[in-house]
Amino acid sequence: MNHTEDWVIEAENLSYSYEENDRKALDGLSVRIGRGKKVAFMGGNGSGKSTFFLCLNGILRPDKGRVLIDGKPVSYTRKGLLEVRKKVGIVFQEPDNQLFSASVFQEISFGILNLGTEEETVRKEVEQVIRELDITPFKDRPAHALSGGQKKQVAIADILVMHPQVMILDEPASALDAVHTKKVHELIRRLTEQGITVLMSLHDIDYAWSWADEIVLMDRGRVIRQGTPREVCEDEAALRQAGLERPAVLRIYEKLKEKGVLSGGRIPGSMDELTEMLL
Amino acid sequence: MIVIDKLCYRSRLRYVNASEKFLYTVATLVICIAGRSPAAAAAAFAANGILTVRKGGIPLSRYLKLLMVPLAFLIPGCAAVIINVSETPLDAFAFPVGDWYITGSRASVMNGALLWAVALSAVSCLYFLSLNTTMTDILGVFRKLHVPELMIELMLLIYRFVFVLLETASAITTAQKSRLGNRNYRTKVRAFGSMGSALFIQAFRRANALYDAMESRCYDGTIRVLSEEQPVRKKEICYIAVFEIMLLAVTIGSRAI
Repeated sequence: MNHTEDWVIEAENLSYSYEENDRKALDGLSVRIGRGKKVAFMGGNGSGKSTFFLCLNGILRPDKGRVLIDGKPVSYTRKGLLEVRKKVGIVFQEPDNQLFSASVFQEISFGILNLGTEEETVRKEVEQVIRELDITPFKDRPAHALSGGQKKQVAIADILVMHPQVMILDEPASALDAVHTKKVHELIRRLTEQGITVLMSLHDIDYAWSWADEIVLMDRGRVIRQGTPREVCEDEAALRQAGLERPAVLRIYEKLKEKGVLSGGRIPGSMDELTEMLL
Repeated sequence: MIVIDKLCYRSRLRYVNASEKFLYTVATLVICIAGRSPAAAAAAFAANGILTVRKGGIPLSRYLKLLMVPLAFLIPGCAAVIINVSETPLDAFAFPVGDWYITGSRASVMNGALLWAVALSAVSCLYFLSLNTTMTDILGVFRKLHVPELMIELMLLIYRFVFVLLETASAITTAQKSRLGNRNYRTKVRAFGSMGSALFIQAFRRANALYDAMESRCYDGTIRVLSEEQPVRKKEICYIAVFEIMLLAVTIGSRAI
């Protein structure tokens, strides 16, 4: 990594502890994220992922250290926070804690109206995001009649309509069935194609292996390893510390190589690629 | 409440402009209550029934069941107006009980019947509105009428989170039942209590999480939202105007007699 790299997020030595807890939720966390990257944050429960995310758009103010967005330190004034939250959007893990209105249209219009956008533009933008994220079939249903996956789609639309530069998804696939997980992953793929930087916390190392440009391993409020999926997955000690195993694809690939079934070549990026290599 | 909520999302009149429906409801309500004419009350009751069941597609059996609910209050209420206990018998009816009479005058019988008719028609007006208009749309009308923002925001949040809370409560109850929480009266009472306290804590947590989520979308103390609106139809406005004028005419006519 050279000095001219375009960092969209820089966190320097962040510490944070919740009032009710003695233990530090963040304990000297430093990380830098390049623009347009797909980054997977992994680590056990309580490793500080969600706390870190809340620091990134100024919901939490770190006790020590600083956050830079777009090279500018976050300013905790009303105006500064507005600017940061416009750039960094968070899709929360539990949609029931994010959706405050029973109406899908109202819900999605909230964030973008807060940015001071003209009503007519808001109307158009909301309609567009409803179309783009395939919300149309259930847009007239009340929030309490939506399935978990549909609520998640609305939660993503909530943020997407604000056109953030960075989109954070806190365990987007938690509590979703396979079909909706696939759908959400497809949405995320489309986001990154638009050039949005996506930070996602997840527990599925197989998905992280195939999706991410970078994996950040966290443990006890610190980053213990950051790198490409290949670099990170070779570091077994770090994986173990984060409570993770190596991706299934990688393990099968290595076993096959050891048994002489595969003669080497490129390391497969996904299960599909591995299957293809076996044909 | 939940039944009404479910039905209104299926109503065929749901996409009629909410202000029109609100206007119709309020105008009819005012004429019925202020006019106190039995003919107008009957006409309004019939119109609301036809609109809700025929036009809105709300099942008749459901509608009738819902109408039964206020009857429980209406019957004793009207009985209190009609029935008197007095030493002298009145002109409509009188049953001697010892030295006293349970009795009623003609005027009080008429009065009671009128009260009953007016109340029932008023209830049918409110049912028309709530069975054919979603809560969100009603709030939209309130906003246009410049009801204080704070009240609208509260209603918006309460309406959303009543369902979240109910869902959580039912999940907790199910979990308790699966651990024999409802084995006997004692455990039932205890389980209900602990469900309540768990719910309270959950509600608190959710409120915090919701606030964070709203803040991260630049919330600044006012909930600003846009709603989709259905166009006002001239034809419908005309129907409403004609109906209200007729209702008014019936009211004045029955007064003149």
